[in-house]
Amino acid sequence: MKLPRVLFVTGKGGTGKSTVAAALALALSGRRPTTLADLDRRLSAAALLGAIPDNSAAVKVTDSLDVIALTPRAELEAFIERIVPIRAISRRMLRSATFGYVTAALPGLEAFLLLERLRIMAGDAALHDRYLVIDAPASGSAVELLSVSSGVKGIAPAGTLNRLADSIDGFLGDATRFGVVITTTPEDLAVREALETAATIRDRLGVATVAAIVNCVPDLLFDTAELAAISPLGGHARLAIRRNAAHEQAALVTPRFADTGVMTVNLPMMFTTAIGSAELKKLGRVLDAELLDR
Amino acid sequence: MTSLDLRAQKLVICLGPGGVGKTTISAALAVRAATLGCAVDVMTVDPAPRLLDALGLEADSSEPVEVHLDGIRLSRRGGGSNRARLRALRLDPKRTFDSIIARYALSDAARDTILENRIYRNLSGALAGVGDYMAMEKLLELAANPDTDLLVLDTPPATEAIDFLDAPRRLLELLNSRAVSLLGAPAGLFRSQLRVVDVAARAVLAAFDRVTGLNLLSDVQSFVRSFEGMYEGFSVRAARAQDKLRAPDTAIVIVTTAESSRIAQAREFIGALESAGLRISAMVVNRVLAELPDVAQLSSARIAPSLKKKLKRNLADYAALKTREEFSLGALRESLPSGTALMVAPDLGREPRTIADLAEIGRSISDA
Repeated sequence: MKLPRVLFVTGKGGTGKSTVAAALALALSGRRPTTLADLDRRLSAAALLGAIPDNSAAVKVTDSLDVIALTPRAELEAFIERIVPIRAISRRMLRSATFGYVTAALPGLEAFLLLERLRIMAGDAALHDRYLVIDAPASGSAVELLSVSSGVKGIAPAGTLNRLADSIDGFLGDATRFGVVITTTPEDLAVREALETAATIRDRLGVATVAAIVNCVPDLLFDTAELAAISPLGGHARLAIRRNAAHEQAALVTPRFADTGVMTVNLPMMFTTAIGSAELKKLGRVLDAELLDR
Repeated sequence: MTSLDLRAQKLVICLGPGGVGKTTISAALAVRAATLGCAVDVMTVDPAPRLLDALGLEADSSEPVEVHLDGIRLSRRGGGSNRARLRALRLDPKRTFDSIIARYALSDAARDTILENRIYRNLSGALAGVGDYMAMEKLLELAANPDTDLLVLDTPPATEAIDFLDAPRRLLELLNSRAVSLLGAPAGLFRSQLRVVDVAARAVLAAFDRVTGLNLLSDVQSFVRSFEGMYEGFSVRAARAQDKLRAPDTAIVIVTTAESSRIAQAREFIGALESAGLRISAMVVNRVLAELPDVAQLSSARIAPSLKKKLKRNLADYAALKTREEFSLGALRESLPSGTALMVAPDLGREPRTIADLAEIGRSISDA
């Protein structure tokens, strides 16, 4: 499957967004050099890959994979430092309460600068034939982030800022450069939110969803006859039903996304006491076979 | 539910990261309190009307709507005082803010200046703190109702718990006249009072304006200016809201799941709230796996050996998840400040869809 340069991974909180972003970056790095950009302050995707980046500098995980931390705040600081070149003053200003008023009045500014940074990184990735995976905020905030350039166009109907917003919109709307990956679990609420997110970014922002990743899908262990046979076993029967039900829920998800033209990939539930590098590799292999090879 | 006595509270505020079932827990606590005989209001600020979904309401109402408790058994522990009723409402921050502006603006001109301001029109949804501020306003209004024993507040998902509780202060600071003089005053005026950083902040906005062809300086100025005269009223109510948060009959409840990243987040919440001088009454860990069945039960079961093997594997699989969960819970328990109850809400094994489901969750929330 021809994937866009930039894969923006989002999903409802608790659906394993960071795990999927890390596994996806791992899988892609088997084919081409890949960068994982972690937008989460907690850097959980980066931590899963065993790297803790800081200062917006990339940290190498393997020869073909590195991670970088991006924060709106750092982008704003870089922007301020360009405008106020005297470092001592720009630093003091960023710490001052007054400056808080500026950012409070212009809440979109930081997000806008972050999008512009992603656009530049995407250009760089195309130049060097790399992939860029983004561990984005949870779906509500992610939609807000992606919408910010249209908000900016409302504020600035002409001029430099408007042209900048235009080029960001062009980038987000170009399916060869930018695509969204939405994570979900086989639960109705998460699936509904994922479908809503896909519809919103398509209709409102013209942004394509590459795939929906259904995370935590247990394998099917019991058939109907077996479930009937164990029904008198109380707790054991309930646990068996629980596993099967989750599996069956997942089977219902694929057609719901297919109706909207979005493919799905199921990731197996990791029945392990922790998610470590072995589990991440396993998930990466599934993504490699089910997403990259398709 | 032993360590969090809902009947002793006037206000319960549920905070937590997104996706942990905060809305469910808020609704479950509200239903529980109602079954104990209390008159309860539950309010959500969540942009998705999920609470109303779960409560079987379709209306999108910013006024409380009665929730039918039909079929919900009232607890005997309720004793004599039976005022049991439940109302739910969903706050639309943008609309409420518009109406507050309309109500409190000193003149029609001031009102129109705010509502038509470029910044407000395009970004008021994102305008820092507006939604949270409105929740506080509504909260004071509802809490003042003598017919309500308990108000449960479901907050929007927060990356920083403190964001929500701190938002009114930040909004007020923005509207503070000092910001006007520093940022918005014509150059030359007040110059002697400006510090170097203020000059730099203005320089940034001015440079931004030059580059972009915008007029942000004057927009920010006129936006903030239009609040002049309203500031006092806002600030009095924000102070009352702050007092309310610290009242002895207010309980702050942090909701999380046992997933390690959520626990880490919850621990950060605790730190932030503590340093703001707020006391956390309880931590509710949602969707905790129920007690696992006994493996010994399988040896005597009369089923095919192959099936037995599968059941053992299934049990081992979930036992691994349970171990993962207990490890997280243990870490959480150690980091809890003394006096904070650690409670668990077991996973129903299905999504709560009905008021009966919520009642079941409310009943089963217990000390861990």
